[in-house]
Amino acid sequence: MRLVLGIGLLVAGAMAVVAQGVDPAMLLKPPVDSWPTYHGDYSGEHHSKLSQITPANVGQLTQVWKAQLTAGIKATPILVNGVLYVSSPDNLWAIDARTAKQLWHYTYPMNDAFHIGHRGVAVYKDAVYLTTPDAHLVALNAKDGTVKWNVVIADSHKGYWSTNAPLVVGNHMLVGVSGDFDNLPGQLKSIDPDTGKTQWIFYSTPPAGVVSDPPSGGATGGQMWITGTYDPVLNLVYVGTGNPTPVLNGQMRPGDNKWTCSIVALNPDTGKLAWGFQASPHDTHDWDAAEVPVLVDANFNGAPRKMLMQASRNGYFFVLDRTNGKSLLTAPFAAVNWAKGIDSEGHPIPNPDKEPARDGRLIAPNESGGTNYRSPSFDARTGLFIVSAQDAYSLYFFKPEDGTYGWAGADYSLTGKAFLRAIDYQTGKIKWSHELGDGASGAGVLSTETGITFTGDVPGNAIAVRTSDGVTLWHAGIGKVGNSPISYQLDGKQIVLFGGGNSLYAFALP
Amino acid sequence: MMTVFWILSLLLAAQGRGGPAQSTASQRPPQTVTPQTYPAEQIKAGETRFSAQCGFCHGRDAAGGETGPDLTRSVLVAQDVRGDKILSVVRSGRQDKGMPPFDMSDADLNAIVAYIHDQKTKGEGLGGGRRNVDVSDLQTGNADAGRQYFNGAGGCAKCHSATGDLAGLATRFQGLTLMERMLYPTNGRPAPAPAKVTVTLPAGEVVKGSLVSRDEFTITLKDDAGMNRSWPVSDVKYTVDDPLKAHYDQLSKYTDDDMHNIYAYLQTLK
Repeated sequence: MRLVLGIGLLVAGAMAVVAQGVDPAMLLKPPVDSWPTYHGDYSGEHHSKLSQITPANVGQLTQVWKAQLTAGIKATPILVNGVLYVSSPDNLWAIDARTAKQLWHYTYPMNDAFHIGHRGVAVYKDAVYLTTPDAHLVALNAKDGTVKWNVVIADSHKGYWSTNAPLVVGNHMLVGVSGDFDNLPGQLKSIDPDTGKTQWIFYSTPPAGVVSDPPSGGATGGQMWITGTYDPVLNLVYVGTGNPTPVLNGQMRPGDNKWTCSIVALNPDTGKLAWGFQASPHDTHDWDAAEVPVLVDANFNGAPRKMLMQASRNGYFFVLDRTNGKSLLTAPFAAVNWAKGIDSEGHPIPNPDKEPARDGRLIAPNESGGTNYRSPSFDARTGLFIVSAQDAYSLYFFKPEDGTYGWAGADYSLTGKAFLRAIDYQTGKIKWSHELGDGASGAGVLSTETGITFTGDVPGNAIAVRTSDGVTLWHAGIGKVGNSPISYQLDGKQIVLFGGGNSLYAFALP
Repeated sequence: MMTVFWILSLLLAAQGRGGPAQSTASQRPPQTVTPQTYPAEQIKAGETRFSAQCGFCHGRDAAGGETGPDLTRSVLVAQDVRGDKILSVVRSGRQDKGMPPFDMSDADLNAIVAYIHDQKTKGEGLGGGRRNVDVSDLQTGNADAGRQYFNGAGGCAKCHSATGDLAGLATRFQGLTLMERMLYPTNGRPAPAPAKVTVTLPAGEVVKGSLVSRDEFTITLKDDAGMNRSWPVSDVKYTVDDPLKAHYDQLSKYTDDDMHNIYAYLQTLK
């Protein structure tokens, strides 16, 4: 690895220490010098409580170091005990967070499964956990990257792959997979982080030969490929499920196709479903509801509520009561033209005329959606849910000759424009919308307690805007930010970390 | 399903489709110009690499995937001889269409070329094609209604003329390519006219040119002398006249009937 050191911090070589101390208690209350899980904590708010960097001084933010790796970074890094762990398909790097020195680099053997992206890793006790393109879970010793064990999550020969950053809850490691090109049941596995043994499997659509309740209508799919969130008081894990398969052919799978395109609440000890809420009944546009289910405790209409919020790929923002899955609010946050309205339970009602057809249908959003895997953030002070959104259009086609397997149709994105949008969670109204350029940004969102929101634009800038009104406060032309920025405090200094291209960039005040 | 953020439509574009009113059965993909064969072991190696690096977008079988087009129906692939066209696309990417550059060994690249050609040969043997849009699929519109929309509610006639810039349009573009260009003309050639930029410098000098790039911090244009020039937007005043803006704005206004009607009308411009 080449190492490029920027101006500023050059702290002498703090050696890596074993990643001890990551246990269920620590994950419930992460220290400021860590970002120990994909979302930073169990809430998925992607909001830093650190306060050193403020709207008044963020303009002075300066690059501290750059760590150049050998593959594009879309993953959210994890920071534990002064070591950053970041991944790409087949690759996991351990990097000293003070010196940017590479401590070790693990390379998974070459395989023929999809190498399209990787969300990140998990750390538990003295191990780091990496999912692989061919749907294995590899446990590595955090100290040196040697393999402890390697287990199969799902059969890649059937068409499963994995990009997932596992979620650790108690002694359960929840691992999701992907699989859109084949008609495969959606599955989330709980694995014992010590032994690699499977504890339970939750199926969002039934395996072959099994009749589910409610019925899926013949649909498969509903993969859970984005890391979920967890409420330790209710002891429920919340996970978004992906689109049904076949993807664009809705004719052969009548009905709502539960639990595809849904948010499901699961007991982490048993994998049993507590409730489900379907964001896109009978999806025919590849709009996963896999996006982060953000957990917020705040007032809604004057009464305290335990809520779950999701800006979903179908262009709608949902607020649910997370104790029971009942809808509190549904409102669009991006260009949408596919629904006839909202039903009494908060579900958009799909317009049958907007299903893919032989002569084509003009659909908003496009297939990549009103948003996608990039993390949103929630800022409690302003009550704003901030999401990297897109107003985009596609042509969707389906004819019977396209069949009943896998994609089963065709779609073509036309164009789109990217925006950072702040949603008032109590009304669904867009408080401000900050243009990010033509196309879609790949950057997630990080808000901070001092009222700053970090993200990246389409042309290639890391930016900071004021959370209250979206006005730009700072930027750095580091190239397209491909991951979700994180923040932590090491040796008394608050760092904001971005991934762009093949590199990580750390910024701090001078 | 997961999607990469750089999604943008057609790659190895969907050109060269047959003329109007052909039946689906008569639609044939562009035929390989120079037949070529590859060793079985190279094709096998190419299948592995293609599946891992290209399969998500182009499909494991190269017949179209989540975002990328069917390569077995690509004109560029049909004209390629042992990678002389494919390799530069793979190495450089097509950033404007969302395809990243790929840094792979020559052996891997050549194996991928072998696999694509083998899949194309198999596809030609099968005939037809799946996940494809045929010209005959798009014949549901009413050309008269489309002409009225063109001259009226659609606002098309504000910038375009059936006897001027669009004369003979339907002889140059057919099928999906025509429909895509009608809705948002970034695909294929000729490329749409770039946005015009006028920059006023602090001393009052005015510089005009074609937009090269812009973000909220920098504006870059190509001036009349052909030189790219760039300024911080905080130092200058500028205006952008983007002819594509009307196309983007119209996307939220079309009904599907409008779209099919205007397509039917444009098909008559021969």
